[in-house]
Amino acid sequence: MPTLTIDNQTVIVAEGGSVLDAAIALGIVVPHYCYHPALGAVGACRQCAVTILEGSQKGLKMACLIPAEDDMQVSTCEEEAVAFRAQVGEWLMTNHPHDCPVCDEGGECQLQEMTIGAGHGIRRYRGNKRTYLNQDLGPFVAQEMNRCIQCYRCVRTYKDYCGGEDFGVMGSQQRVFFGRFKDGPLESDFSGNLIDFCPTGVFTDRTNRFRTRSWDLQQAPSICPHCSLGCSILPGGRYQELQRVRAGGNRLTNDSFICDRARFGSDWNNHPKRPREARISGEKVEFPYALELLEERLEKLVEEYGGETLRLLGSPRASFEANLLLKKLAEKYGAPAPYYDAHPRRAFAARMAASIPSGQLASLKQLRESDLILLVGVDPLAEAPVLALALRQAARAGARIVALDPRPLELPCDFEHHPLTQESLLRGLSAPEENELLESLRQQLETSQRPVLVGGGELLGGEGLRLLLHFSESCCGSHDCLIFPVLHGPNSFGGGILGATGDSNRNLIEDLENGNVRALICVETDPAIEHSEPGRMQLALSRLELLAVFDHLPTNTVATADIFLPTRTIYECAGTFINNEGRMQAFDPVLEPGIPIVVTGSGGHPPRQFETTPPGSAPRSAVHLLQWLLKDRNDLFGLRRQIIKELPCLRDLDRLAAGDNGRRIADCGDTLEESRTEIWAQEGELQVLPITARYGSDLYSRWSQSLTSRFEEPSVWIHPVEAAERGFVNGQKVVLRTVVGHFHLPLVFKAKMARGRLIVPCLPGTPLEVFTPGGLSLPCKIYSEVDNA
Amino acid sequence: MKKLLLKKEIDAFRKKAQKLEHPREMVIDLLRAIQDHFGWVPDAGVELAADILGVPPIEVEEVATFYDKIYRQKVGRYPIHICDSICCWIRGGEEIAAHLQQQLGIKLGQTTSDGLFTLLPTCCLGGCGRAPSIMVGKRFYGHLTCDGLDQIIAQLREEAVG
Ligand code: SF4
Ligand code: SF4
Ligand code: FES
Repeated sequence: MPTLTIDNQTVIVAEGGSVLDAAIALGIVVPHYCYHPALGAVGACRQCAVTILEGSQKGLKMACLIPAEDDMQVSTCEEEAVAFRAQVGEWLMTNHPHDCPVCDEGGECQLQEMTIGAGHGIRRYRGNKRTYLNQDLGPFVAQEMNRCIQCYRCVRTYKDYCGGEDFGVMGSQQRVFFGRFKDGPLESDFSGNLIDFCPTGVFTDRTNRFRTRSWDLQQAPSICPHCSLGCSILPGGRYQELQRVRAGGNRLTNDSFICDRARFGSDWNNHPKRPREARISGEKVEFPYALELLEERLEKLVEEYGGETLRLLGSPRASFEANLLLKKLAEKYGAPAPYYDAHPRRAFAARMAASIPSGQLASLKQLRESDLILLVGVDPLAEAPVLALALRQAARAGARIVALDPRPLELPCDFEHHPLTQESLLRGLSAPEENELLESLRQQLETSQRPVLVGGGELLGGEGLRLLLHFSESCCGSHDCLIFPVLHGPNSFGGGILGATGDSNRNLIEDLENGNVRALICVETDPAIEHSEPGRMQLALSRLELLAVFDHLPTNTVATADIFLPTRTIYECAGTFINNEGRMQAFDPVLEPGIPIVVTGSGGHPPRQFETTPPGSAPRSAVHLLQWLLKDRNDLFGLRRQIIKELPCLRDLDRLAAGDNGRRIADCGDTLEESRTEIWAQEGELQVLPITARYGSDLYSRWSQSLTSRFEEPSVWIHPVEAAERGFVNGQKVVLRTVVGHFHLPLVFKAKMARGRLIVPCLPGTPLEVFTPGGLSLPCKIYSEVDNA
Repeated sequence: MKKLLLKKEIDAFRKKAQKLEHPREMVIDLLRAIQDHFGWVPDAGVELAADILGVPPIEVEEVATFYDKIYRQKVGRYPIHICDSICCWIRGGEEIAAHLQQQLGIKLGQTTSDGLFTLLPTCCLGGCGRAPSIMVGKRFYGHLTCDGLDQIIAQLREEAVG
């Protein structure tokens, strides 16, 4: 690791680091634009000039391009370099419109800061400025090309890093233009990263245009709640309204990138129908009253019928702390251990993932560095979008990517796809030595240096993950073959840890149906959406004597609850999520809970706060509500220490701070012995597989209005050969008959999907919302609409 | 309506693209062919090229807009590139440009109303030894004088009629 001196200060940088990295490490500001830690250096902007006094290349150099060397002497203050930087600053600014007062970037603009840093202040150029017509890039990203300084970071982000194919740089000389071939919405699922990476105000967040100055924003480091990866994010808002989400930085997980559903899908937090008041049988009441009533009824119930008649349901979107307290509540009332996912198959997948020894779990960073990645039953862009970015980085570095999945997968990189049905995948995994493909893959995994197996919990279930774990063990001879399980929600893994101790053969719906259960408490979950058979679940819920729901989303179950208590969202309280690789990550509150002032003040200006509720009645966090029931007076820190005492594998929990890289759990002990028999359909029987849609299927996206432009039209997919055998044509209207109902849908041909199966994406707000991904495929029949009539 | 390319040319390009490891190396040839045929490259030309090469249209557009000899807007029958680089400038390039504008009654970047000539400034035609110079279509003219220019224009006008 080279040790060098910059402006008389000595610093050690990592091997391969540049002089600019060294300066940044010392806190010396050398202005720069084209360099970004996640993208590397290209020397395009010429802004980062320094003088190398001692070293193999002496003189005025671009700091980002010169590798740090031992005993190097660097100065940032030599007259020539200072003048050079000021000139480059002036030159980059010649065409700039000086429109900072109307630019959303103002106040957090690298161009503002570094132009001043470069020493350019007074404009001398008096000629005409180059101007552009901007493009309409869709609802997410606004473009203002006149502010461009040609650093090329946007193309390097959109095209090189994220693999987008509809964005580029056109023209030459004074006319270079960064955009699309024609106006139209950006197609990449990672388009929003342009906003973070452009150092000026060319690309800004269109969903939050002209609304808040960066210095007026309340911000706090947080964790994305949209899938199980737990990417670090930096949400911001004000006046009780969540206004935007930017990527946080965690080099072990998402690096500096997030997906569009995370960035533009946060307005569920401000949903106009968000339930914010306690209710008893639908009537608004003050929350202390509702809480006391709940306690009273619970006590009475337990006294009369015993704790056995009470069930508790936690959730993958509730914090780990809340889920743990739920367990304590179960103990207090003598109720059976809580369920942590209303969907039994997903819950098993989470328990299985949580039982994988910590050392065998891969991080996204390890994925980016892998040389052979085998995807088994996972659609990254739908289930864990930033995973697709990690795959692309691995592929760019030469890794091979092989996918076994029935869906017509798309990835932003080259990959080999074997479209096997869910059943043949599971069957193959159960006897991999008899399966030619798996056997040859096993050999390749054995000979690669850093192989990773990615397993989709949704398609494989717990049983499949268990088989995958065995498969991975069979291919680690000299080195580990790591596993990257993909789960359902931000805290599925946490639920998996907590759920591992319960009696695994129980099943919530059977419990409810057998009539002994009288009360259910749901914490931040709607079992009628999450369970694999929503209709059946709804019926079971309606038979309960007491249904208590703590939530912040306007679900149907909230509306039908006997006792409802509103909770804070993750943007309004602190807590911890455990992501799919067992990384504990803390989040901090960004906002106070309460109705956004845009609503209470009807958008008037200046914004005024009007309370429509009595003071003190704002929602509490689920943790707070549960602690009240438990008479537990610990603060969050005390609570975490208490958790550590009980669950030593979480021993680093009290050392977490929001915004850090998180900490891996230690091994939780014994491997899970649990196993479930699943009946896998035979090839040849026509079955339909409900899958996670690219947008709308996750826990929060369905209540996010800004994402609706991305929702697909409902359809049923079929392989063209399969369709031809049955005499169907592409686009034809068909009737799909299944146990959950029959549906009139257009038939869409997908040449890259598995044969012998139909696929339906689960889309909220459409008839297809009754399907839940995460189960096995269902028997079905399909007719043309005409025949059916 | 003029076609972008003849069907047999399209087929030939497709065939060739299949054989190449990196079909995009044909992008200039393809754009040139479309331009020879159509006079310039409209959006549909970029899309056709992208389709033949199997790349997204933006990748063709990046190349098409980079080179000033690929016309992404309608030009006259004789696009005239006037060199404004340093050698031509020293040897009277500015007068050449002024003279042409005056004679044709258009400014740089414009096309004469009869659709014959378009004036385009260009940075270096590679004929510094024969400065000042222009290029008309693919024909290069060096050692220019104002009189010489008038002759060239007259010749081209005749050619157009004949
Ligand atoms: S648009 Fe932004 S990121 Fe792209 S080149 Fe211009 S200044 Fe750089
Ligand atoms: S990949 Fe998942 S965790 Fe990461 S930003 Fe996207 S939705 Fe959020
Ligand atoms: S940061 Fe070094 S040249 Fe741009």
